[in-house]
Amino acid sequence: MVLLPRGNPVKENVNPGKINLPAALEKLQIGKFSGYLRFDFAEETGVIIFENGRLISALFEGSSQRLIAYDAIATIFEISLEGNGRLNVYRLAPSLALSVHALLHGDLLYKGQELKLIDIKSLLGRLKVMAMSGCLRIYTSDRVALIFYRDGSPLGFFHDGSTDIETTADNSLSVARMPGAKVDVLTTKGAGEGMLADLMKSADVTALWNKAQGELARRSRTVEEETLRVRSVREKDRRQNLLAVLTAVSVKHLGKIGGSMVEKEFEKSLSGALDEASLMVFYDRLSKAAKLVAGASKINSMLDEMKKGAKGILEEG
Amino acid sequence: MDLSFLQVVLWLIAGLVSFYFSIGNARVWTSISVGFFLILFGELLPHALPFLPGTGVPQVEAMGYIIGTISILVMSHGFQEYYVFSRTLELEGNKVYVYLTTLGVVGASLVFILINPEPSEETLRAIRIVGNTNWVFLSLINIDLIRKIYLNVKDSPISKGFLAFMIVFICIFLWKGSELYIQVYSLDLPSVMDAFPLRYQISQVTSMIGNLFASLSVGGTFLYLAKLLR
Repeated sequence: MVLLPRGNPVKENVNPGKINLPAALEKLQIGKFSGYLRFDFAEETGVIIFENGRLISALFEGSSQRLIAYDAIATIFEISLEGNGRLNVYRLAPSLALSVHALLHGDLLYKGQELKLIDIKSLLGRLKVMAMSGCLRIYTSDRVALIFYRDGSPLGFFHDGSTDIETTADNSLSVARMPGAKVDVLTTKGAGEGMLADLMKSADVTALWNKAQGELARRSRTVEEETLRVRSVREKDRRQNLLAVLTAVSVKHLGKIGGSMVEKEFEKSLSGALDEASLMVFYDRLSKAAKLVAGASKINSMLDEMKKGAKGILEEG
Repeated sequence: MDLSFLQVVLWLIAGLVSFYFSIGNARVWTSISVGFFLILFGELLPHALPFLPGTGVPQVEAMGYIIGTISILVMSHGFQEYYVFSRTLELEGNKVYVYLTTLGVVGASLVFILINPEPSEETLRAIRIVGNTNWVFLSLINIDLIRKIYLNVKDSPISKGFLAFMIVFICIFLWKGSELYIQVYSLDLPSVMDAFPLRYQISQVTSMIGNLFASLSVGGTFLYLAKLLR
């Protein structure tokens, strides 16, 4: 789970599977967008960060994997196409976008510390002594605030709804005061504007998108084939069960020639779909053949028994 | 002891039962039951001659024998059809075609008799020998065919009916076989009869009893089949 304040929302709760993501990224590029796209999936999160129209960072984080750059973009595309994700786009100031990028790719020093259980003054003192650059992430279940530090000195705050690093601590403090608030301490290595490449220039996101679409289609085909195979096996079993029941009843009433009659008429009348209509044709034909070896009352009682057995099997399907 | 009248009555019953059976049952039974029904004419016509307007007309007597021959051919065809059905479970055709074809063959035979010279005693004897020969050999073939049918339908409701048919054809074989024996060796000629009285007596009795039991077994078999196919 990637914990980030929401920033200034541009689009919220969009299904990323229903939009052409390369085209959307291109629009953001042309529009010199700064901010981030957050993809929330069932168990994973993806973040794509733009700074002045440059796609500077991509991160995909799941419970057991963490991907960055092209791999992250490709995976975000693949999972988005499954259609169960949610996309939120937040605008940020370019400098904040860079800070967020640095934060996401930084190291986690402390994680999930209960705020009320730690000596915050002592912690801040340590950060100063260490001349640490990074941030404190203070969060609850639904709110997040970041306090950036550079060389051990506080730089500013980033909380839900803000687009730039702010100097007032009100919102961040309000998160810190909330019951159950926790804090993470993250260090950053620092990422200057000039150091970051534009991933959209160095990678063909349309090709990644097409590949993801191809992969999804292949998976769909595999699932479809498997579904068909399972259905076919089930249908075959059902057919064999029905034939076994009909044959047993026929042998009981007409002897072994009855079994042969059932097999023959089954092949003729029930080689297609197993439904009521084809069964009626089967009964009719079997009844005509059976008249050569048995009387009407015997045939009728046989058919009644067959219909009961067949009904049970058809209902199973 | 002359059992002619009793035989005629029994064949009349057997013929009517078999014809009635042909109407109410599956197509494959039509040839068999129509064949047995035709025996009625084969038997009735020659025996009824003294009481009918056509008394002494050789063509009528010849037709009686020919219809008798047609009857064994038709019923043998029926058993063949049943055998094929019991092996392949395939059955084609239509009842009406069976009736019409049989009528057509009878009609063609009548035309054949009418366009030829009046049958002499020798001709009638030859026709009877041809008829009995057919009966004897086809009875043997039918017994074997019915045995095979029985094995194919062994545990079906109808199976015991085929055992009854085997008995029918054994009776018919004895009846027609002894008649053929008399005819082939001319045992019915007084000079031969005097020379071999025992053979003639045995053959006559066998023929009479075979005829009687054949008529009884035919009627009984069809009644039994009707019960089985109820």
